[in-house]
Amino acid sequence: MDYSDDFDAVRATSSTAWEDETEDIGQTSLQRLTRWWINERGAPDILVWQAQLVEELLDSLHNQATMVQHIRSDPRTSEQEHFRVVLVQTEMERVKFLIRSYLRVRIHKIEKYAGYIMREPGVQVKLSSGELTHAQKYYDLISKYFHSSALEGLPENMRSLDEQLPNGRSMITEPDKDRGVFVRARKKCENVRLPNGDSLTIEKGSIHLLRYRTVEDLVARAEVELI
Amino acid sequence: MALPQPLRPGPTPYELEFIASDELIEISPSFSMERTRLIHGIIGPFRPPGKSKVPLWLAVNLKLKRKCNIVPPDWLNVEYLQERLAEETSSPAFSALPFRFAEIAKVLLDVAADDLALPDKIRSLLKDLREARQSKSRDGLKKLDHIQLEMANLCSMEINELRPFFVKAMGVFTKLQTDSQGNADDQAGGQDMDFSW
Amino acid sequence: MDDDYYSIDAILADNQKIQCTFKLDVPNLGYLEGGEEKDIKTNSKIQLPHWLAPTLLYQDWVDFAIPPPFSLRVRKALNAEPRHVRLSSLVGGGGQWYSFGRMIVELLQEPQSEELAKVLQQTFHARLVDLMDQAQNFGGAAGSMGGAVGSGDVGDDFREGLEGVERELFTLAQDSARATKLWYESSDKK
Repeated sequence: MDYSDDFDAVRATSSTAWEDETEDIGQTSLQRLTRWWINERGAPDILVWQAQLVEELLDSLHNQATMVQHIRSDPRTSEQEHFRVVLVQTEMERVKFLIRSYLRVRIHKIEKYAGYIMREPGVQVKLSSGELTHAQKYYDLISKYFHSSALEGLPENMRSLDEQLPNGRSMITEPDKDRGVFVRARKKCENVRLPNGDSLTIEKGSIHLLRYRTVEDLVARAEVELI
Repeated sequence: MALPQPLRPGPTPYELEFIASDELIEISPSFSMERTRLIHGIIGPFRPPGKSKVPLWLAVNLKLKRKCNIVPPDWLNVEYLQERLAEETSSPAFSALPFRFAEIAKVLLDVAADDLALPDKIRSLLKDLREARQSKSRDGLKKLDHIQLEMANLCSMEINELRPFFVKAMGVFTKLQTDSQGNADDQAGGQDMDFSW
Repeated sequence: MDDDYYSIDAILADNQKIQCTFKLDVPNLGYLEGGEEKDIKTNSKIQLPHWLAPTLLYQDWVDFAIPPPFSLRVRKALNAEPRHVRLSSLVGGGGQWYSFGRMIVELLQEPQSEELAKVLQQTFHARLVDLMDQAQNFGGAAGSMGGAVGSGDVGDDFREGLEGVERELFTLAQDSARATKLWYESSDKK
């Protein structure tokens, strides 16, 4: 795991700093997960679980922890080396915060849309196995609670939690894909279909406010990012 | 609840600062240190008086411990900001600034003002820039509809501040569309209509 | 303006009343008029809630009148001076002028529905910039830092003229500006 190439390639804080943010080459797992975290924050629905990125970072954390332990338990360690350990540990806390933040935003959405998830196999595949289990259990819990606290008292044909209403609305809370999101294009995107039928070209690096539905696929393919 | 209300649906300024803190910045370390492997990449070696590039969070950490001086990024000085401000006030478009300039400037002015030339002047220029751009974003609001809005050269913190209002306003426009308007919209201004009914 | 099944706002909005005129007699439901009558007679005018009115309309059992907040007079005033009409005096402070208007649009036929929809859209559009301007510059009384002297009053008065959704937007802009300002003033130095 030699990161020296990544580091040499990476940007200085100049006015074109962001340009490198839009390239995939030389992007570390850290940078990528940061992007997916913010994507997740901006997107009304749940995005695909970034299993590989999370696993890589957890591995890295494990390696760093081992290294730290090794250095600290060695009586010959100098003061300078102890200082380096502090830096390593500070970074580890940052990475843990990132991973936790990523998990938290997803858990929030999973709990909010638990019913929707249980109804849509297409959404279930976007979750990790742990998240799916959580969604199931959470929905069971909520359903049982609604039943015992209110629904049992209603006539039997009114006890449902997942009816589709005549005007098209559903009892189950669904993500609002028509909500606006701010996107920045990571590459030029042509023929983006707008709600009124027009076609739009999004230049690389440009920033737009659009309905999530318009860019849903582009986000999933990492051609745009939410900011 | 996993996420308190104010945290959705966008990041907080502090979270944006966290992200901006991964950006590289040049420092002049005052101590020696061997190459160190971080998850981010390899740091150092530090060989004073030689300079080194490190993530901002690390630079801040060292600076607070008085173990380095920070080399200001090439945009964080009076001259550059004055040029941008002149551009800002003479054109309706937004001038190009580093995407995370607000976060980086705030952090550096906070912990490393002594490494900057004329920090108070810089602060005042940044404030003027912010206000000029904020007033332009209100003009951008006039073009907002239920379909899309381009916001070229807007920066991270500015977008974040505008986000709740703009997203909600767009949502209202969307809800006010009728089915027949959905596909043939024209945001025509102020034509008088027949009010006889 | 929330379509979520569990949205309290949507449930409350559903209760808004529309004045309807019955086109036939309805026995035994006279109590809906609030008077002593046993039956509803043709041409009785009754205020019906929004969750009930559409069904009766589609069955052609009632006619309805455009509610006062969307009267001809109001629409003319909005066409002339959309920024200065106090929408809160049409529907009560915090009442939902746009949301109610949207419901009425759905009950109307063309071309009236299109015209009312345009009034709603153009009014909203015209008032939007002032909304943001006021919210950012006259950030409410409590905790307002750096606002002009007496600006709290100006901000409050403006806000009082806004209807529900506009107040929400006003608050969103204010809260956002405040949060950002707090961050600018925070320090990483321990």
